[in-house]
Amino acid sequence: MVDGFFITAIKGFALVNLLMGFFAIMTWVERRLIGRFQVRLGPNRVGPYGLLQPIADLGKLLRKQSVIPAGARPRLYLLAPFVSLTCAIGAFGLMPFGGVASVPGTDIDFHLYMADSNVALLFVAALGSLGFYGLLIGGWASGSKYSLLGGMRAIAQLVSYEVAFTLAVIGVVIHAGSLSFVDIVQQQSDWVWFIVPQFLGFVVFMIAAVAESNRPPFDLAEADGEVVAGYHTEYGGMRFAMFANAEFINAITLSALAAVLFLGGPSGPLLPGPLWMLLKAGFFLFIFIWLRATTPRVRFDQLMSLGWKVLLPAATLNLVVTAAFVVYG
Amino acid sequence: MATVVWFVASACAIASALAVIVQRNPFIAAIALLGNLASLATLYLLLQSDFVAAAQIIVYAGAVMVMFLFVIAYVGPHAEVPDERRHTWQLIAACVAAGAILVEIALAVGRSTLDSAASVEDSFGSPQAVGEVFLTRYVGAFELVSLLLLVAAIAGVVLGSGPRPSRVVDERQRRVQEARDLAASRAGDDR
Repeated sequence: MVDGFFITAIKGFALVNLLMGFFAIMTWVERRLIGRFQVRLGPNRVGPYGLLQPIADLGKLLRKQSVIPAGARPRLYLLAPFVSLTCAIGAFGLMPFGGVASVPGTDIDFHLYMADSNVALLFVAALGSLGFYGLLIGGWASGSKYSLLGGMRAIAQLVSYEVAFTLAVIGVVIHAGSLSFVDIVQQQSDWVWFIVPQFLGFVVFMIAAVAESNRPPFDLAEADGEVVAGYHTEYGGMRFAMFANAEFINAITLSALAAVLFLGGPSGPLLPGPLWMLLKAGFFLFIFIWLRATTPRVRFDQLMSLGWKVLLPAATLNLVVTAAFVVYG
Repeated sequence: MATVVWFVASACAIASALAVIVQRNPFIAAIALLGNLASLATLYLLLQSDFVAAAQIIVYAGAVMVMFLFVIAYVGPHAEVPDERRHTWQLIAACVAAGAILVEIALAVGRSTLDSAASVEDSFGSPQAVGEVFLTRYVGAFELVSLLLLVAAIAGVVLGSGPRPSRVVDERQRRVQEARDLAASRAGDDR
């Protein structure tokens, strides 16, 4: 806590609400964009341009009957969505949005990040992997074979891509010499965006990030043609919405992470920090949506061989070359 | 603030540790162990060991426990029925071991002077400090452990991969031969 308890609490409240608002708008953007990609209109009936569609969806989900399926373990079944959503929001909370700002009209200064830990990057990775427990617990506690299969797939996918993901990120850490986001952003504004010296690392990172966020073409944990809806087959109403919310917030977090690690984060000319973050993260989110609209789902063996036989060696090579460059270059 | 967090985290650590050994369902016991690891990570944070806390979550909660839960969910909760027989010698051995640990802790706490708070430098427990110690003072042990892990990983692959490929081919050829023999004998019967 860089600003003390009180201001941090206010910042946290504001950040979560902004994130949820952004998520709601992004669901509309995603559906409209996918509509365009598929040569149709997308949701355009509720409100101007269909902008009120997220609110209509929310109303529908809230009014659904809450069912706990027979054969489920009720407590774990109810716990699972909370695990996913808590970890997703927690990971986003560490993203930096700029330096110091002040409240207009007063002389109260505050930082545009919640906390600057010297292991912030590790905490994001830790929360990301904890979030997957929500999928496994939900899949197991539902008492359905499709849910269990989906949960198992999610875990197998996480274990396979976590390694390549972390190795790709370490390349950036070696260049920056720090695990703190503030330092990583500072290094990039002093030198050059890390996407230039770390292009291979960036490619590995992006592929692994799509797999980590469990989105198409790597959405095998909820592949609707194979395991009904995977881990959230037995979830309905707001509980399903929490899973969907966690998944999208993970995608937002990974986009913001990509912006911070490879595109200089909130630093940039003219515009203020948060706006640069929005633009850069929005660019990566567009790539996420683009991939979803245009690629078919991979098979499970393809997913595994891509992770272990292509991404892991590529990330290792990148790591060795980067280390040699930093030491001898 | 730190005192409150300490009490909550300690209570959670003890409660989840109890749940690990009391719970009959291995899946729930594993989740309780996960809670225990998270509580310990919180305690590490209070001890200024940010890096150890993050490593604890990533390594134990993120990798080791994932494999535990994976296997338990895969095998199913009823595959392993706990041994109902109670051995007297087990009970005695457990009590002796627990008593020994209790005495050790009591001695350690009793002898040390806990009246003044320990102080460490700001760099204590940072990734840089931990990494430097690993690659200078403990480099031998560090490399040995990595070798051990490599051996364990290869052993896991060897043990988990089933029969060697050559045997699989032999088996397939044997079956093909059997089928041919069968077909030949049937053809002979028809004539």
